[in-house]
Amino acid sequence: MLLVCGTAPLQTLPLTEGEARLEGHLLRVGGAEIPCTQGTAALVSAACKTLEYLHQPLPRVLLVGDDGSGKGSRQLYEHLIADLPRLAPRVVVLHYMLPVMGLMRRVSEAASKAIKRPFMIADAAAMYAAKAAGIARDFDLFTPDLSELAFLADPQATHPAYVSRHLFESDSTHIPEMVAAAYANGSAARTLVVKGATDHIAQDGRILDTLSEPDIPALEAIGGTGDTISGMVGALVHAGYDEVTAARIAVRANRTAGLYAAATPATRILQLIEALPRVFADHLDEWARQIANTRNKRSAT
Amino acid sequence: MFFKSGKKNGFEGGGIVLFESVEEAMSGERALKAAEIENRLVAPPPELRRGCDLALEINLVEKPAVERLLRSRQAHFIDILPMKGDAELLQVVKVTDFGEALMVKAGNMKLTFDKTSGVVLNISGGGCPDIPYLHARMLGVPLEEAPRPKEMGRTLCALMLDRAYEQSLEIRKNGNG
Repeated sequence: MLLVCGTAPLQTLPLTEGEARLEGHLLRVGGAEIPCTQGTAALVSAACKTLEYLHQPLPRVLLVGDDGSGKGSRQLYEHLIADLPRLAPRVVVLHYMLPVMGLMRRVSEAASKAIKRPFMIADAAAMYAAKAAGIARDFDLFTPDLSELAFLADPQATHPAYVSRHLFESDSTHIPEMVAAAYANGSAARTLVVKGATDHIAQDGRILDTLSEPDIPALEAIGGTGDTISGMVGALVHAGYDEVTAARIAVRANRTAGLYAAATPATRILQLIEALPRVFADHLDEWARQIANTRNKRSAT
Repeated sequence: MFFKSGKKNGFEGGGIVLFESVEEAMSGERALKAAEIENRLVAPPPELRRGCDLALEINLVEKPAVERLLRSRQAHFIDILPMKGDAELLQVVKVTDFGEALMVKAGNMKLTFDKTSGVVLNISGGGCPDIPYLHARMLGVPLEEAPRPKEMGRTLCALMLDRAYEQSLEIRKNGNG
């Protein structure tokens, strides 16, 4: 099971658990209808499109309304603490939720009580909470953007708003140093997918791959383009790809979806998500083959 | 007064509210409790100590909500600071010109608006739960009519979005947008 956990911008949405399905611009989960906009809804929608294409079961979702008060987020944390061992998903993606360090630590402990600890992905404020709580290394994969990488590289910061100025002002040419710092201070998950003008994939402190084509600068402006990467990575890992291959495919698919959707700064995330099936049909096999060939060549040398 | 430094009830907020007097700290605690904002009375770390020996530990991420509530209750406080690391919120703002649109980035938040109409085209970045909420309310609305993130939002992500919003308004006012 792929379990995605997060919040939705609907104050009245109770904690809702169920299989998610994207129908038009609405995400349907257990009788609830959630507009597919930036945030966890975009992540789940991208995961749905990926799993549908791969003929895999759709993601199971735990969603709750939260306008920032944190009430919904706390319900979500408590539910995970109580139920994660029983649910025993193969992959968990933790996403938009009020970062609460103590509760995130207990969620990670609950994950370890499952028969097999799930593959744990954190993005957005779930990643902030894991880093601030000092448990980043318990996670398998983080998906920071450049400003969030600066946050991971700053050993003292508990939120990206308090990152040291020199780290925030670092441009993308300093990504290797920031990746190294994040691993050195124990603030990185085993694998990092750094999203940006050039995407970087790192594992165990080493940058394995970078990608900057197709170059679609407008993607940075579109709310949800990071969420879709996290959703695709989660879905691909769940479908059996190793995490580095999943990351390589997801960043390629995101950029290509931007190309297919002729992305501008005014493009909405749903337009990119709708392009994903065509992106996969045109490229998935070819990318998987290229990635395997490259890996085989590297291991032979 | 003695305070345990342990993580009682699992609460560990990373932010501290400093007060001039014990009475003000107690009154601040009552105001936050009534609003169901998690907090606990603590002794401020020596390096941050200003005012009295009693402070409130809060979830730093909720700084804007705490600040707004304390001000609305006339509960006086000196400052709200992170318990470790840089004490200053990021002030740096970066601007990217897309031709017909401008993207203004403050911290982890980016706001993009149409240069001609001033309409908010996109909001990206961030991770706190009030961001999708603000996203839904601000998109498609001219900057001058959009709700103020600082007033509707509750978290540091919303505060960063407010910085981007404020800068965007400034750019428009100066005729550069």
